Amino acid sequence: MRYDSITDVIGNTPLVRIDPAVHGLRHIDLYAKLEMLNPFGSVKDRPAWNMARPHLAAAAERDETVVELSSGNTAKALALLAGMHGLTFKSVTNRMRVPEIKELLLLLGAEIEELPGQSECLDPTDTDDPLTRFHQALSEPGSTYLHTDQYFNPRNTEAHATGTGPEIVKDLDGRAPDWFIACVGTAGSSTGVASVLRENDPRVRVLGLVADKSDFIPGIRTIDEVHQVGLFDPATYDTIEPVTSQEAIDGMLTLIRRCGLLSGPTGGAAYQGAVRRLRLVDAELTDSDRRTAVFIVCDRAESYLSYVRQRRPELLGAPRRGHHVSDLTDADVAAGAKTIGTGDARRWIADGQPAPLVVDLRGPHAYAALHIEGSVNIVDEVFDELVRGGLPFSKSRPVLLACPVGEKSARYAALLTRMGHPDVRSLTGGVVAWRDAGAPLVRE
Amino acid sequence: MSEPLYLLPRLEPPLSSLLDAGEFLHPLVDALGSPLNVLLPERIAENVRRFRAVYRDHHLSGRVYFAHKANRSSALVRRLAVEDSASVGADVASLGELQHVLACGFTPDRIMATGPKDPDFLWLAARSGVTVNLDSPGELDQLAEIVRKYGLPRTDVLLRLSGFELGAAASGASGVRLLSRRSRFGSPIEEAAELLAAVERHRDAVELTGIAYHLDTTGLAEKVRALEQCLMVMDECRARGLAPRVVDIGGGFGVGYVADAGQWNRYTTALTEAVLGTRPALTWRGYGYGLRNEAGTLRGAAALYPAHRPDAGAGYLDELLSLASPLLGRPPATLLLEHLFDLSVEPGRALIDQCGASLARVLEVRRMGEGTGDYVVRLAMNAGDMSLEEHGVLVDPVLLPRPGGGGGESDAGPVGVFLVGNLCLEADLITRRMVFLPRLPRVGDLLAFANTAGYAMDFHAHQAQRQPVARAVAVTGEGGSWSWCPDEEYWPISHGGGVLS
Ligand SMILES: Cc1ncc(COP(=O)(O)O)c(C=O)c1O
Repeated sequence: MRYDSITDVIGNTPLVRIDPAVHGLRHIDLYAKLEMLNPFGSVKDRPAWNMARPHLAAAAERDETVVELSSGNTAKALALLAGMHGLTFKSVTNRMRVPEIKELLLLLGAEIEELPGQSECLDPTDTDDPLTRFHQALSEPGSTYLHTDQYFNPRNTEAHATGTGPEIVKDLDGRAPDWFIACVGTAGSSTGVASVLRENDPRVRVLGLVADKSDFIPGIRTIDEVHQVGLFDPATYDTIEPVTSQEAIDGMLTLIRRCGLLSGPTGGAAYQGAVRRLRLVDAELTDSDRRTAVFIVCDRAESYLSYVRQRRPELLGAPRRGHHVSDLTDADVAAGAKTIGTGDARRWIADGQPAPLVVDLRGPHAYAALHIEGSVNIVDEVFDELVRGGLPFSKSRPVLLACPVGEKSARYAALLTRMGHPDVRSLTGGVVAWRDAGAPLVRE
Repeated sequence: MSEPLYLLPRLEPPLSSLLDAGEFLHPLVDALGSPLNVLLPERIAENVRRFRAVYRDHHLSGRVYFAHKANRSSALVRRLAVEDSASVGADVASLGELQHVLACGFTPDRIMATGPKDPDFLWLAARSGVTVNLDSPGELDQLAEIVRKYGLPRTDVLLRLSGFELGAAASGASGVRLLSRRSRFGSPIEEAAELLAAVERHRDAVELTGIAYHLDTTGLAEKVRALEQCLMVMDECRARGLAPRVVDIGGGFGVGYVADAGQWNRYTTALTEAVLGTRPALTWRGYGYGLRNEAGTLRGAAALYPAHRPDAGAGYLDELLSLASPLLGRPPATLLLEHLFDLSVEPGRALIDQCGASLARVLEVRRMGEGTGDYVVRLAMNAGDMSLEEHGVLVDPVLLPRPGGGGGESDAGPVGVFLVGNLCLEADLITRRMVFLPRLPRVGDLLAFANTAGYAMDFHAHQAQRQPVARAVAVTGEGGSWSWCPDEEYWPISHGGGVLS
C-alpha cells in the first residue's frame, strides 16, 4: 500500500466481529467499527480532516491559528493537520482532564487554554461566561482564527455520512445492521452514521450512550451537556442511556484482554452499553431471528493510563521490590528510629568525630530557599529509589536525616537502621523545630 | 403532578434537631415576628475544628480567619473569640466589621483587614495593630502615609495578588494556560516586583508578613497554580532580604446545600429539559437561570451554585492541599511545610455551614388561576430577607407545621408551589423555581430555610419598604432542650443568661 499523504490513510477502517463466546449474545452478531485504526488514532480523524481541508490553504496564507473547543481527539487530529500545513493549533476547553492527552497535545505543538472553574459568588444575571467571551474573540473583525466549530459544523456529520456509515453498510454486504450503538460527544459520528443506515433501512435502531451525570468519561457528554451541542438532535436516537466510568473500564478490559482490541474508555463504554442493551433484545429473539449490531471503538488505550489508575489502581499495581518505608508500621518506627533534638544535633554537627552527614529530605525548591549549612539535599522520592537497592551511605559515616517536622525522617531512620546502618538519627521536630529554636538556616 | 423534584437540604446536628423542634420555634416566631433568623454559635466551633484537623493532618501552622462579610451576627464572632487565639482569627472587610470584632473580644493580632479600604478603616487598622491585606499599590502608599502622619507603630501587611494566568505564561514552564476570570481585587502578579520595591521604600511604616490571594472560583487547579506562584514571590521576598512567613489562600471553600446527588442531578436535568420545552416549565414564567433555548440547542451557562458538593469546606481545603502543583510537582501542603511557611485561610460561607436558618410564617395559600396546578404561597418575609435565589443556591425549605393546626383532605400529598414575599412587587419571589413540599402548607405554618447563615440570611435586607427586618437570635442546647437569646445578647461564657455557664 502506497500513499502520497497520511491524510489518504484516513477512513476505510475495519469492521471486526466480537467472538460470541465473549459477549454471550445468542442471536446477535456484534461488530466493532475500529475507528481507533485511523492514522491519528481516533474517530475524529475524519471530521477533523473534512472540516479543516477546504480552509487550510487559505488559512496558511493568512497565517491563521486553528482553534477548536476540544478535550482530546479532535484536538489531536487538528494539531497534526495544522502542523502539516505550517499552522499552529490552539485548543480551548475545561474538559481536558486526562494528563497524557494534554501532554501529547503539547508534544504535537498545540497551545492549550483551560477555561476557569465556576464562580463561587454567583451572579445569576451575569451572561459573561468564558465561552461566550471566547466566541466573541473569534468573531472580532481582523481575528486570525480558523475555527472548525465541531459542535455545530455540518461537515463533522458529513464526514461520517460519506465515510463511516457507507463503509459499515459495504462491509455488511450492502445491508444496514439492526442496531447501531455510539457514544455521544459532538454527536457527529452517531448522527452521520445513523442517517446513512436509516436510508438503507428505516428500521435500524440507534442507541446513544452518554456519561452518567455525576461521572466523567473522556470524549463523551452527559445527558445535560449533549443539549449544548448544535449537531445533537434527539430524534436521531431511539434510546439514550447513561454509562458510568466503571462500566467503561469494564468494557475496555473485555475488548483489550479478550478480543485483542486496544480500545480506550469510550470504546469500552460503547461495548458495555451495547451488550447491556442487546442482552434484553437477545432474550426476546428466537433461533430463526438473527440480528446484527455495530458499535464504534473510538480510540486507543495508551493515553488513558492515568484515567484507569485513578479509578482502578489495582489494574496497574506493580508489585513492590526491595526496601520501602511503607513496610514499617508506626510501632516499628517508634521502636527503631533514633532521634536527636536541635541542641544536641548542633553539637553533633560541630564536634562529632566524624561529624554526621546531614541529609535534607525536602523538595529542591524549599532546600534552595533555606537549609542547614553543609547539608545535602536528597528529595524523599529519590531517597525511596536509592534505598530500594540497599544502603546508600557508608556504615562508617553517621547520618542525620531532616524533613519538615521530623516524621518522614524518623521513618527513614528506622528503615536505614533495620537495613544495618549503625548510626542514623532523625532530627526531632524537623527543620521547623530547628528554625523555631533559632538555629541558623542558610541560603547559598 | 409528575414525580416531585425535591432538593432536600443537607442537615447536620445541631441544625437537624433544631428543625425538628417546631414546638420551640413556633412560639419564638410568634414572640419575635416573622422573618426570624436563628443562629447556632456552637456549630461554628465545630467547623473550625474540622479546618484545624486538616491543618493538623498536614502538620501546618497558621490561622483560620473567619470572613466576617458572610454574616453580621455577634454571636458567631463572639463564639469564635473564645477559640484558641493562635489558630482562629477574623477577616474584616469594613470599618464597621473591624469595630465589631474588636468589640467581640478579638485582639488585634488575630484580625486581618481585607477588601477595599477607605482612610478611616486603614487608620483604625493601623492604630489598633491589625494586619492589613493590601489590595493595591495605592493602598500601600496610603497606609504608609497614615502610619507616618499619625506616628503609628509599623503595620504588618500582606500583599494580595491576582492575575495568575499571565504569571503562568511568563514562567514558561508549562504549555497549558489556565484562563482566569478577571478580578477587581488584588495587584497583578506581574507587578509583584514593583510592589516589593514599594514595600522596601515604606519599610519604616510597614512590615511584609505574607503573600495572599483570593480567587472567585470553584476550580482547584486555578488555586493550586496561584498558591505555587505566591511561593515564587515569597522566594523573591527572601532574596530581597524581606522575611514574610504567611501564605494566605483566601476563602471560597464552599458549602454543600443539597444532601442527595441524585436529587440534584434529576433537578438540573429537568431544568434543561424545561428550558428546551420538552417538559413543562419548572420556574416562574420559564426563567432559565441563564440557560436559553436557541433553535433546540441549549445555550448559555446555568448560573447555579453547585448545590450538591461532595467536597466542600474543610474537605475542599484538604483536596487543595493534596493536589500535585504544576511547576514544583509536590502538593501545596508539602511545599508550605518544607518552606517553613504558615498557611492562612479566610473561609466565610464554609465556616458558617449549618450555623443558621431563616424562618418565615405562611400568610396565604392561593391557587393561581383555574385549572392550572400552580399554587402561590405568600410568606411574611421577602427576597431581601432570604436571598438564596440571589446567590443561585437552590434548596428546599423545611415545612414546620403549626402545632395543633388542622389537617385537610385537599392538602395531603406532595405539591409544587411558588414562594412569594410580602412586598407589593411582581419581582418579589422568594423562589423563582417551583418548590416541592411534602404537602400544601397552611396559614400559620413555618417554612425554615436551612443553612442560610452564609450570605443568604439578611445579606440584602433593607428598611426601604417599611417591612420588619428579621431579628436574629442565638440558640444553644441539644435535642429536647433549647434556649435562646437575642444575637446581640449572646456571650459564649454565659449564653445571654448573665451567669457563667
Ligand atoms: C479576601 C476574601 N477572603 C475571603 C472571602 C470569603 O469567601 P467565602 O465566603 O467564599 O469563603 C472573600 C469573599 O468575597 C474575600 O473577598
